[in-house]
Amino acid sequence: MKKLFNSAERMVDDMIDGYVAAYPQVRRGAQDPRIVVRARQVKDPARKVALLIGNGSGHEPIAMGFVGAGLLDANVVGDVFAAPSADLILDGIREIAGPAGALLLISQHSGDMINGRAAVMLAEEEGLKVRALPMYDDISSAPRARLHDRRGAPGTMFVYKILGAAAERGMGLDDLMALGEAVRARTTTLAAAASAGISPLTGKPMFCLPDDEIYLGMGVHGEPGIGRVKVGPVDELVERMVAALLADRPIAEGASAAVIVNGMGGTTLMELLTVYRETRAALARRGIDAVAPMIGSYVTTQEMGGFSISLLEPDPRMLDLWCAPSDSPFFPRIEDHRA
Amino acid sequence: MSAGAYFTALAARFDGLVEPLNTLDAALGDGDHGTTMRRGLVKAAAAGPGLRAKAFMRASGGASGTLFGLILHEIERHLDAGAPLADGLARAEARIRDLGHVAEGDKSMVDALAPAVRALAGRGSLPQAVTAAAAGREATRELAARRGRAQYVEGGGVGHVDPGATSVVHLLETLADIGDAS
Repeated sequence: MKKLFNSAERMVDDMIDGYVAAYPQVRRGAQDPRIVVRARQVKDPARKVALLIGNGSGHEPIAMGFVGAGLLDANVVGDVFAAPSADLILDGIREIAGPAGALLLISQHSGDMINGRAAVMLAEEEGLKVRALPMYDDISSAPRARLHDRRGAPGTMFVYKILGAAAERGMGLDDLMALGEAVRARTTTLAAAASAGISPLTGKPMFCLPDDEIYLGMGVHGEPGIGRVKVGPVDELVERMVAALLADRPIAEGASAAVIVNGMGGTTLMELLTVYRETRAALARRGIDAVAPMIGSYVTTQEMGGFSISLLEPDPRMLDLWCAPSDSPFFPRIEDHRA
Repeated sequence: MSAGAYFTALAARFDGLVEPLNTLDAALGDGDHGTTMRRGLVKAAAAGPGLRAKAFMRASGGASGTLFGLILHEIERHLDAGAPLADGLARAEARIRDLGHVAEGDKSMVDALAPAVRALAGRGSLPQAVTAAAAGREATRELAARRGRAQYVEGGGVGHVDPGATSVVHLLETLADIGDAS
């Protein structure tokens, strides 16, 4: 497989070079070149809680693409598919933590949790005010009885955006934690993988899947999920996925659901818009109104084919924050068609 | 004794441990424990004061780099700033148990660290703590792993000494060898 890089050693740093040179919303951190920070001044930096996340690279635009006003204050960029080390995340916390404190978001994967929480321990030792919020939403990774063992999946973008908007409006650290937990409790995600991504490190497909099969519930690194189904019309697949999401966390008839249809990197917008059409229809059949959708390839695994559907049953405050304006290079404008 | 001398001695010691530790790890995990420990320690030995454990975490990588880095962080604070070793190692042990969801008897680094911490807490000397850690390491041979990759190995790796516990003994033994009075 052809990959367009200079070298394996430089690929992550070359990417960050291009990114910070291209967009005025971001710059490199002073503590370490692997930290991308918000470039534009916060109105009252002493009072704003700083939000950051560390993650392995190879999944762009998440998360460095979401650094900017009304979203993240920093992203700590690890090697390809590898969690950044605890000391690097600590540098990220040092970079942005002020008197109002910092909130480290962690998409729940083993390495990210260990390194992220260790970074918080070391930061507290240095007298910094910081807390960690684990994010998990993938219903295929553990049953509801073991909710806390679930993986982070694209539904974590609800947490990023809603907390980012709330922090911008001056919400304090404890309230942000509580809001983040509330959003997490109302979010579910299920993925359907159609084809493997190619690892930039090995040049080889990350897993094998027959041409006529879809893998339900696969994680963003190809982790196993529920099982294989034969490929057929997408309306049948989406109906099955929506039914599974609502069986895991029911939404009442007459209520609304904010929707994320996320492409994994190798699936076209033409297909993703079709998936949204069917998701909206599947919800409508149950009397649920799909609102404020986010549709596109935001959490990717190289050219992996497939998509995920995430549902959030928002309260009015969550919906308002989800639709609040933001200014990062890659987070889209979200609109509530009913507003 | 300075942290610089300790990390230099440790990096030299692990030069000779890469193959044995990789061999131990091959029976239980992905066979690179010696390589990742040495890679981290070489960078730590070259780093400046206060930055050695952090350099180790960065270069060693992964979750194991973080967990061993937390032990080295306490040893560095002890040697640089005179922080009590017993308290520091107890804190590292608590953090490793918490972050790794690992308990004594799970066949991990904690099986060597916990007895050493107990020995120091009971006013034992550092050499006594090393002896306790070594006994804990030997006891991992008969344990079945409950955490980490080794839990997926047939039989949980019974019959093999845990490489993480082995490395913990080397970290403490090096400290004793350079004459630290703790």
